[in-house]
Amino acid sequence: MDAFYLIKIGEILLKLGNRREFEDRLRSQLHKRFDSADIPHTIEMYPGRYFVTVPEERSADAEFILARTPGVNGYARAIKAQKSVEAVLAAAIEVARGRLAQGKRSFKAESRRSDKSFPLGSFELSARIGEVVLAAFPESRVDLHRPEFTINAEIRERAYIFADPEPGVRGLPVGSGGKGILLLSGGIDSPVAGYMMARRGLALEALYFHSYPYTSQEAKDKVASLAHVLSAYTGNLVLWTAPFTETQLKIKKDAREDLTTLMMRAAMMRAAGLLAERIGANCIVTGESLGQVASQTAENLRLTQSLTDYPVLRPLVGIDKEETITLAKRIGSFDISILPYEDCCVLFSPKHPMLKAKLEREREAYDRLDLDALIIDALKKADRQEILQGPRP
Amino acid sequence: MTYLDWASTSPPDAGILHEAAGVAADCYGNPSSSHALGTKAKAKLEEARARLAGAISPSGAAAAAGASMAPRLLFTSGGTEADGIVLLALLRQALNSRRDGSIKRLHVIATEIEHAAVYEEALLLKALGIAVTFVAPESDGRVDPRKIGAAVEKDSALVAVMAVNNETGAIQRLPEIALAIAEAALSFGRPPPRFHVDAVQALGKTAFDPAASGATSAAFSAHKLRGPRGVGALWTAGVPQAGVPLEPLSLGGGQERGLRPGTENLQGAWAFAAAAARAQSAFAGHAAHASALEARLLDGLKHIPSALALPLGRAAGDARYSPYIMSAAFPGLSGEVLARALSDLGIAVSTGAACSSNSRRTGRRVMRAMGLSEELSLSAIRVSTGELSCEADIDAFLEAASSAYRRLKT
Repeated sequence: MDAFYLIKIGEILLKLGNRREFEDRLRSQLHKRFDSADIPHTIEMYPGRYFVTVPEERSADAEFILARTPGVNGYARAIKAQKSVEAVLAAAIEVARGRLAQGKRSFKAESRRSDKSFPLGSFELSARIGEVVLAAFPESRVDLHRPEFTINAEIRERAYIFADPEPGVRGLPVGSGGKGILLLSGGIDSPVAGYMMARRGLALEALYFHSYPYTSQEAKDKVASLAHVLSAYTGNLVLWTAPFTETQLKIKKDAREDLTTLMMRAAMMRAAGLLAERIGANCIVTGESLGQVASQTAENLRLTQSLTDYPVLRPLVGIDKEETITLAKRIGSFDISILPYEDCCVLFSPKHPMLKAKLEREREAYDRLDLDALIIDALKKADRQEILQGPRP
Repeated sequence: MTYLDWASTSPPDAGILHEAAGVAADCYGNPSSSHALGTKAKAKLEEARARLAGAISPSGAAAAAGASMAPRLLFTSGGTEADGIVLLALLRQALNSRRDGSIKRLHVIATEIEHAAVYEEALLLKALGIAVTFVAPESDGRVDPRKIGAAVEKDSALVAVMAVNNETGAIQRLPEIALAIAEAALSFGRPPPRFHVDAVQALGKTAFDPAASGATSAAFSAHKLRGPRGVGALWTAGVPQAGVPLEPLSLGGGQERGLRPGTENLQGAWAFAAAAARAQSAFAGHAAHASALEARLLDGLKHIPSALALPLGRAAGDARYSPYIMSAAFPGLSGEVLARALSDLGIAVSTGAACSSNSRRTGRRVMRAMGLSEELSLSAIRVSTGELSCEADIDAFLEAASSAYRRLKT
């Protein structure tokens, strides 16, 4: 038997001139993800609704993907039926049977009829569904205000009957917003930033700076694990690991102590800009949040921003750590992020870091460090790893 | 790879492993079975036990001949389990005293430099309501016997002091500590508490004899002296201390006098006995060799600018330390980073105890306890040698450490 899913799309519907492009993007994203997980499937597209069919034994894997694909607003296991009253009512009883088996009792029915040739109106159809379900299951009862489940019937090109769609991550299909470089560290923030931008349709390649031997192989593996978690949302993901030790040692040696962290951030931004150029990305994404640490004041962000003309997107800029942690827990990155492996910042811990950089003065200090050759070399040696969107854990 | 991590584990002696495999294949009967195969295995096990007892405590073994209260030796799965049997027995004691109301309170003393096998168990006892006093070492890494004596209370039931520290090599003054414990207990009119010694780094490497040290129990491990992993021993003095017999927390089929139930690891026991006997017979030669390597290392360290031997001021030939274990600080470079860099250069060393380098929680407890600054503590690495180590190993380490330190120091 096959599992049949009705998929609701949201924001895409608001697009006017280029809606078709977004729809194609979402379809190809779904194909890619199901293919990557080796799930045989078919996708049907109708205006405002997609339908996916997979083998029953892969239904849990399919739901894992549907729940994490940006552009999908919600999805529900559905029964597709012929457009006859009898067929719809029979399917409604089946849907109700499934919910009652989960111990739910109170329900209501909701119908939408876009095919006006169907003999019953929406209101009448809902009432009939209520009647037949009550008759079939004496333990059930109707509750229009706080039902434990809702039976939906949609009469369109065919009839679809389902209950309580599961939420998707909404947003726009990955790739519709272009491609960005995500600065991925081992921390809590950057994976969340990546998740948020993937939901805005950005395809991502992640860039991690590895300062071996100051940072360990475990720290590097941790970043790969984070990329793996993220890939459930972004689809297959490229992870670049750039060796950064030489650059950092030079900063440590030549920069004023209070500027070391800031200079490192600036160097990272420079590297991200160069990589963006190389791979054809059109923006840079970071997990920075205003005022969270010394390097993330507006003045300091202005300095780091000055190292690239790509827009630097900071989806976490206005939210606090607690909100970020809530999101990190939801996407499953939190438990990995808190593993105790040091990141490359351990090399620098100025007691009194510069809080308010003066653009001209500090930019000049950065330029004097003359890091470009080292940064270019680091990118040349960078390791490119394809993180395949993994199966359901 | 230049192997300078013998205090973590040692390369096993292939001949001994081979011999033990033969014993395992040949004497496969369960030593507790009454049939001929069982009897044969039992005999082999007792042969290993006598041999190991002789290697561990020549004086105790000699005195034991004919004595009814002879010291006993139990095979365990390793040093950690041997420590655990003694420490967790306190829980049985607490349970018994709650039942009969004889003792209101139980008190344990441990040093702050104990191996995690003792330290973590002591923390567990504390969490379970047993009073625990931790005694700090002096800056030379040794514990002052008077401080142990001063920590003894009326209700003290157990004192745990390791024989040789696994990070600094500091040798503890066990006979003086035993005396201080006895005197303090006497002042309360009580018999002395149990005195447990973790001797994992001492066996075969220092002149440690549990019977002569005043210990009432001692823990040993085979893999530190070229035996296999998964086997250790618990030595107990013949006389039950303070009239309280050691009662196990783990119960089962009653093997090893009930203290370590479970089918006996005959091949492990056999190999442990062989390895210990071998180490004991070669003791003097190995020790002289280790001292020469110690001198070479400590001398070489002086030529690396800013590097320091730990404990501060340790010099070659100092009888306060085991020549097999040395620590060194490289200020401005985390020990973990240096160990990683050395590994890339083909040199194996540890930062402190290999088994605790996985957990950040405890940090560098032993170094901190000696009063070293956080910076020095975190920059420490441990170099430990063994009978197969040679001068070229020390030279390779010094050269690699010197160049890595120069390059990576911040």
